[in-house]
Amino acid sequence: MEQTIVQNTAKQTDNNAVSKKEKKIPVGCRQKNKFIPCFMAGTVLLTVISLMYLEIDWIKLASRVPEIGKVFAELAHFDFSNMDLIFSSMLETISIAVLSLLYSLILGVVFGMIAARNILRIKWLSVLTQSLFTFLRAVPTPVWVLLMLVCLGMGPEAGVAGLCVHTTAFFTKTFAQSFESIPDETLEALEATGTSRISIFVNAVLPAAFSQIAAWTGMRLETNFSECAVLGMVGAGGVGFVISRNLQSYEYGTAGLAIVLVFAVAYCIERLFVAIKKKIAQ
Amino acid sequence: MEQILKFENVSKSYPNGVHALKNVSFNVKEGEFISVIGPSGSGKSTILRSINRLIPISGGSVCLDGVSVSDQKGRKLRELRRKVGMIFQNYNLVYSLSVLQNVLHGCLGYMNGIRGVCGMYSEDDKKKALALLEELGMEQFAYNRASDLSGGQKQRVGIARAIMQEPKLLLCDEPIASLDPSSAKTIMDLLRDMTSKRNIACIVNLHQLDVAVKYSTRIIGLSKGEIVFDGVPSELTDEMIERIYGTSRENLMIGASANE
Repeated sequence: MEQTIVQNTAKQTDNNAVSKKEKKIPVGCRQKNKFIPCFMAGTVLLTVISLMYLEIDWIKLASRVPEIGKVFAELAHFDFSNMDLIFSSMLETISIAVLSLLYSLILGVVFGMIAARNILRIKWLSVLTQSLFTFLRAVPTPVWVLLMLVCLGMGPEAGVAGLCVHTTAFFTKTFAQSFESIPDETLEALEATGTSRISIFVNAVLPAAFSQIAAWTGMRLETNFSECAVLGMVGAGGVGFVISRNLQSYEYGTAGLAIVLVFAVAYCIERLFVAIKKKIAQ
Repeated sequence: MEQILKFENVSKSYPNGVHALKNVSFNVKEGEFISVIGPSGSGKSTILRSINRLIPISGGSVCLDGVSVSDQKGRKLRELRRKVGMIFQNYNLVYSLSVLQNVLHGCLGYMNGIRGVCGMYSEDDKKKALALLEELGMEQFAYNRASDLSGGQKQRVGIARAIMQEPKLLLCDEPIASLDPSSAKTIMDLLRDMTSKRNIACIVNLHQLDVAVKYSTRIIGLSKGEIVFDGVPSELTDEMIERIYGTSRENLMIGASANE
């Protein structure tokens, strides 16, 4: 009791002191993160340096703005004469996206199991796997596809292989995280039954992580499809190849139609997976 | 009666310097129902987990069914673990799977190679699992998702999974700590009946003194990693309780202090 009274009086004197001096009451945290202003200043500095280094000719840029409208208008004049070519190349793109997704899914589950720290419990192996796939992920997909083009020759095979590298690396990381989010107690319970590690993984971890795996797969199909459209431009077949060739030869009508089709398919895939995710969550 | 478990001068210190167990020795015989009581941090969970080597011990020896636990690795260790069923405070089921699948997890330890990995359970195992669920009054939930059950029902699935292993020893880590009083009674009754029927020895970590006295054939009192009491419930005097918990019996009863 006595202590609380002392505390109360102490508080009151504190309040009195504030009102006497009429100081503004601070509202922020006592410990301010000094890094944030430094970071902002650094960003501004880097922007200025980049602008100076690139020597962007703003006047020329402004004079070309109307051109954007012109090109878009020409793109909007669809040319349906090459419809069969656009369609077949679109099918090729979708096939590349789906195939690379499927192969990466299988590889991703296997490597994700190795990379997750709580499944096999071989620490050096998971660290090794994780760092290897971090490296693979750091190199952009088009670079992998170009490498595969050199190795496997022009065509969709290179597209599938190149996409697989990046997608597998992505799945390994995300799946490993999903597996690691399974509570340790659940694994302990199965360990106590004398079940082997692989068996625990297939019978308990995989079913528990299934909805997360499905969500990541859906997200990745979207990414793979749009990446795949870009990859065509470096020569891995598909609709991207059609777009880039037609743009280069000023056949805007065909290119415009193909671009709209890419948009439509990407939108459909997104809607489809939103619906599927809802069903899974039920 | 056959001796199942033998603790000899077992000690355990964690990397952070905590001495969880100091020279703990005791034996467990077939059919015993032992409660381990003691305040939080007295080493109750460490005792249970050192039995099936979920936690490796630092000194002494643990003998399970005549085999030293600390020498075992890989397949041999898994075969040893099969003999010990385990029940947890938080049930630790796989909630996205059916109740029956969770019960069948108990026999994964007996399945080798591809059958075990793919979870291809034999029809006999399925029949056994369904019979167990019926015994626990859970047959109508066999095909429900484990996440849809109440706490008491989840713990019954946990019991079924452990019994499915056909263990010689059942370890229960605070099995009723997350349950309401009525479910807690059901679970304790089931534990006692199912283990005595099958002649399974049972070690239960408990926070509830009255439950320990009511159900156990023997009580082990732990304080700061040492056994300070080991005997039948009737021998558990007030002085003994004070030694275990470091406070008098009145202070342990929440209801009693409210009457003051």
